[in-house]
Amino acid sequence: MNHRPSQRNNLDNSMIPAINIVFLLLIFFMLAGHIEARDEQLRIPASSSDRELKTAELEIKISAAGSYTVNGQRIDQDLQPYMTGLGVSPETVVICHIHRDLPSSALDPVLLAAQQLGIKALHIATEHTS
Amino acid sequence: MLLEITPRASQPISLTPLIDVVFILLLFFMLSSTFSKTRQLELEAAASGKQSMASEVYRLLLLTENKVDLNGTVYPTDTERFAQRIRTIAEAHGSVTLAARSAVKVQQTIHLIDNLRAAGISQLNLSPSVAE
Repeated sequence: MNHRPSQRNNLDNSMIPAINIVFLLLIFFMLAGHIEARDEQLRIPASSSDRELKTAELEIKISAAGSYTVNGQRIDQDLQPYMTGLGVSPETVVICHIHRDLPSSALDPVLLAAQQLGIKALHIATEHTS
Repeated sequence: MLLEITPRASQPISLTPLIDVVFILLLFFMLSSTFSKTRQLELEAAASGKQSMASEVYRLLLLTENKVDLNGTVYPTDTERFAQRIRTIAEAHGSVTLAARSAVKVQQTIHLIDNLRAAGISQLNLSPSVAE
């Protein structure tokens, strides 16, 4: 008498609750999480601000190495003339992504450019903490 | 010769490959997805042309991680005395111009801005850092 098929069937049946849980976990992670590139060179500061990140016309990124990127373009010149060249007006919405462990002086070129160009909406991208 | 062909018993589909794939997908989503969403902190660059309606302007300098200079008086930031002073400024609708020493980390400056906003300071300007 061969018991193998029924044993296998029993094994498969006993796995069903585990598969259900795994499926539920999979659906949870697929729906609740979101995938984004992690960049250890640009870990934005934590803040309790709960304002949704809006789409910016000008996105400035300052990495841990201190390099400045404006709208995906790495720049080596002064920020203010570069921004003027882009046609930045006082109404332009600017969002700055800055690495959290950089000294505050790394933000100075952005603040000075914002002052000189009279930019009204300057935002810092932060990671929400409760 | 007569061959006896026995009808092939229908094999149940094994769940093992399916479980393997689901586990791999689960691991992928667990490791790659993040739950923290990016938010924004709204700032006003000092002297950006906005007319301040505040009755008085206070100058706040973040000296170290937990020490500030408010109009010439040094306060530890984690004391009730400082919190009370900030609440008084907020109640008087005062405007605060914040600067940090150049060596202070961005995270510490953002943390102080958070605390000031939580205390009710609505008019907060951020100035370029001050050298040591």
